[in-house]
Parts: sequence; structure tokens; C-alpha cells
Amino acid sequence: MTRLHEAVRAAARRHPDRPAVTGPDGSLTYAELDRRADAMAAHLAAAGVRPGDRVLIWAAKSCAVVTAMQAALRAGAVYVPLDSTSPARRAAKVARDCTPRVVCTTPERAREIAPWLDSATVFVNLGEPLPAAVPPPAETGEDDLAFILYTSGSTGDPKGVCLSHANAFAFVRWAIATLAIGPDDRLANHAPFSFDLSVLDLYGALCTGAAVHLVGAELAYAPVQLAEFLRQREISVWYSVPSALMLMLREGGLLDRPAPPSLRAVLFAGEVFPIGALRELAGWTRARLLNLYGPTETNVCTAHEVRAEDLLRDRPVPIGTAASGDTVWTAGPPGEPGELYVRGPSVMRGYWGKEPHRGPYATGDLVTVRDDGAFEYVGRRDAMAKVRGHRVEPGDVEAALHTCPVVAEAAVVVGGEALEARLVAFVVLRPGARTGVLAIKRHCAERLPTYLIPGEVHTVSALPRTGNGKIDRTALAGTLREGSAV
Amino acid sequence: MQADVEQRLVEFIRDKFLAGDPEGELGADTPLLQWGILDSLKVAILLTFIREQLGVIVPFQHLSAKNFGTVGGIAKLVRELGEPAPDYADSVHSLPPA
Repeated sequence: MTRLHEAVRAAARRHPDRPAVTGPDGSLTYAELDRRADAMAAHLAAAGVRPGDRVLIWAAKSCAVVTAMQAALRAGAVYVPLDSTSPARRAAKVARDCTPRVVCTTPERAREIAPWLDSATVFVNLGEPLPAAVPPPAETGEDDLAFILYTSGSTGDPKGVCLSHANAFAFVRWAIATLAIGPDDRLANHAPFSFDLSVLDLYGALCTGAAVHLVGAELAYAPVQLAEFLRQREISVWYSVPSALMLMLREGGLLDRPAPPSLRAVLFAGEVFPIGALRELAGWTRARLLNLYGPTETNVCTAHEVRAEDLLRDRPVPIGTAASGDTVWTAGPPGEPGELYVRGPSVMRGYWGKEPHRGPYATGDLVTVRDDGAFEYVGRRDAMAKVRGHRVEPGDVEAALHTCPVVAEAAVVVGGEALEARLVAFVVLRPGARTGVLAIKRHCAERLPTYLIPGEVHTVSALPRTGNGKIDRTALAGTLREGSAV
Repeated sequence: MQADVEQRLVEFIRDKFLAGDPEGELGADTPLLQWGILDSLKVAILLTFIREQLGVIVPFQHLSAKNFGTVGGIAKLVRELGEPAPDYADSVHSLPPA
């Protein structure tokens, strides 16, 4: 098996009646998912989708969305899953970049986005039942692209990370082997499909005949409900950003009842898991705990299984050693933090519309090497920040703020850490301009997915500058810590 | 109770997420998710308020963009799901018979 969509066909033959996907719109068995994916692939082909074409998928998580992803691959196409919270304007920006043949969405969203797109754009309604059909055969090689994941770009234009079937398989095979995922497993899919974490849940399940249970955006950070979901659905493999786990621990009453016996592995990635909270988690469940690391461009390239001795230290657990068949190293002098480089099968093909990526990938993350060869995460070498695992380029948010007619100048910093992490915007209004917080948020909401919308907006008379005239972000972040933001 | 719940939700959202909303921009029909007033983390904060102050636990199956799109939608959901909290006992009689 070298192509992602072969997995569901194979699982449908071996386990036709086992549940494949459960979402807000119900459940699909492998046989149903296989049939629907075929019907939709035929529909896509009839709509003009040819191998190598892009299929944009813009909708809240559902079985229908998973079906569309499989259908796109069966048609030989490349799917582009957008963050469901992305507004029409942002979705249109991505569409202009990747020029999809078809946009799969709901009728309401199609109406919303249509004015922003070429009038020739073909829309496919995700909710529409389709007659059974066999799609025309599409030749896809393992080095062909499977999906493009768009991530925050520093200039305000999202960047499309292009991943091939082989890229995805390098990680998925590693994950299946490391976790021994099998048909009895029930994986939670917490991350949005636009986020690389979701590749493990989806394909870890679909490649083994296991079940994947979708967590929608509204449920993703609701502590009590999320803890209930974990129990009721008898999840065996959980993978999310640490923030979601911490919320369940702190506010969801997760620890008030014994750990469900079904839970056998808890994986986390995307941000640092504070050691105190991790100790609580480890004290509650006997499940394996794994810290995974890797940017979207490489997916997981290092991993560390938490051991008893890691919990005795007063610092976060290491990000570990190479995974997914990759080679990782740092170029720094011994003992000093250096940038982490990655080479290997999980490294992306490149950014959409740019030159293909060649050679090692420089992560921008600073690490140190321990005596046992494991890496420890130190920090970033640029302005990129993480908010609950989501990569945030402040410049992306500032670019949106700068298009607001009442804003003369804006700077965005990340305030707080872990659960308290939030984007804070400091704006200088144009002379005589008056505006409310809602108007500025709304302006951002029309342009950015919700995770990029500033949680706080402060109006200031001027932004602090450094000696060379640049906006002094350190000073801005400092005013937040002192609680003296004006 | 509908109007009352709605009012309490509006006040809470104004106070917590809109710096008091001095321009009075928030209404029962304001698109909360679309306009970036609520994100997934703020939905969680709101759920805590609904649980602790309105006495209603929203099951995970009800957490959807449809139900959380506007204050009016949330108030409707809260009313449908819930017995009023004890300090709401006085307003029980104003509910339509079940």
C-alpha cells in the first residue's frame, strides 16, 4: 500500500461492517465510507476533476468531509482542507493560491464565498446524497501530492505545505508501528483537518480498520464535554495539543473519576506540556504518554515516550529522538542551543506555488542535545508563536488589522503561556476615529480563522519603538506581564 | 426565562469578551462565531458560566456552530436543555408547560 486512499478500500474488504468514522452527522462503516467515497469520486471526476487537480474542502468536521477527502484522492486529486472557522475571505485567499477545480462545501458557504471566486468555480454540496458509481481509474504515484495544509504566513498570505502520499505514509506507518494501532482501537480526532496532527488520527485509523471519532471546533476546548466524550466514546488513542488535555484536567473533572480502561495511549504535540500538569495526567492513567514534535512541513520528526524519570525533573519532557524514518540534527556548537534540521521521507515536497523543497528542512526551532541523544526544545529563532499548538505569525494578524480603515498602526504579541496564551493586539487609531472592540474583531473575523483573531484588543496612543525604529514587541509583551496595558 | 437568559448571556459576553462593549455593539442576533466574538476557548468559558450560573450542562452532542451562532441560539438551547437553576425557581411558572 503506497497511496492513502488504498487504505479504506483494503479496510472495506477486511472489515466492511466495522465503524470507520463517527462525527456530528452520524457514523459510517468501512463499507459505507468506501461506497460513498467512490460515488463522490465519480461525481468529482464528472465535475472535471483530473489527477493533480486541487479540491478545496471548507466545512465543519463531519463524516461527509472525510468522505470528500477520500473521494478527492480516488479521483487522483489533492485535497486542501481548510480550517472550518476560516471566513470566506480567507478561504478565497487560499483558493486563489491553489486554484482548486472544485470547492466542496455547504450551500450556505458556497453562497458566501462565490462573490470572491472566479465565476467558473464548481461547487460540490457536501450534504448531497449521491447514487452509487464507480469512478474512472486515476493513476497516482506515491510521490504525487495527497493534500496541502495551509498555515499562517508572516506577510498575511497563508502558506500551502504540500505533502505527498509517501510523506504522509512515512509518518502514519511510524505511528501505527509505535502505537500498535489495530482494528479494535478508537482514535479521537481532536485537531482540525487543516492541522497536521489530524493525519495521525485519520490515517492511523483508516489504515488499520480502527474507528476515528471526530471532535468539532465547538467541542474542542469545552472541558467537561470533552472529558465526557473521551469516556463515552471509549477512546483508546488520544492525540491533541496539551492545552486540550490541561483543560480537561483543570476544569473538566477528568481526574475526579478513574481513568477509563480503554485509554491506552495519550499523545500530545504542538506546544510545551507544563510538567506539573503532565505529572497529574501520568498519576491518573496507565496509558502510554508520548510527546511528539514536528512542524507541518515535516509532520512528526521526533518523539519521546514519557518515562518515570522524566516526571522527576522540573522541566518539560524532551521532544526526543528521530521518528518517521527521518534524520534530525542540530548545527549549534556542543552544549549550546542550535537550530533543528530535518531530512527524510516525511519532509514536505515544498510550498504550493514555490520552488520544490530540496535538502534538509530548517525548523526555526532551537534545541539542545542531551547525553542520551534526545533533543530538548528551547525556543524559536523568529517571531512565530504558538497559541494552543496553532502556528501564529504575528505579521499575518497585523496584515489583517492594517486593512481596517480606522487603524493607523497595529502590533500583535502573544500574552500568557499554555492555557492562558492569547493573541493581544495593540492598535493606534487614525485621528478622530472611534471604534469598538467588536468592530475590530469583526474586521479580523472576516479575514482570519478564529485562532488568529486577537483575543484582546487594546487601543493605544502610540506603539513603543526600538532604537532602530522597529516596533518593540518585547516592551509590548512586558506591559502585558505587568498588567499595565493601556 | 428566554429573555432573562438572553440578557444574562449578553451581559456575560459583553463583560468577558468585549471589554464591556462600550459602543453597545452586541445583540441577540450578532453572529458570535462569524464575527470572532466566540472561539473554541471562549465557548468553553461560556459553558462554565452556563453550568455554574444558569445550572445547565450542555452535552457534547449539542456543541455545534448552529447552537452557538448567536446569543438567541444559545438561550434557546439552554432553555430546551435545562431545568432552571435553584435561584431561578421564581421564574419557573413563566415557562410554557412541558
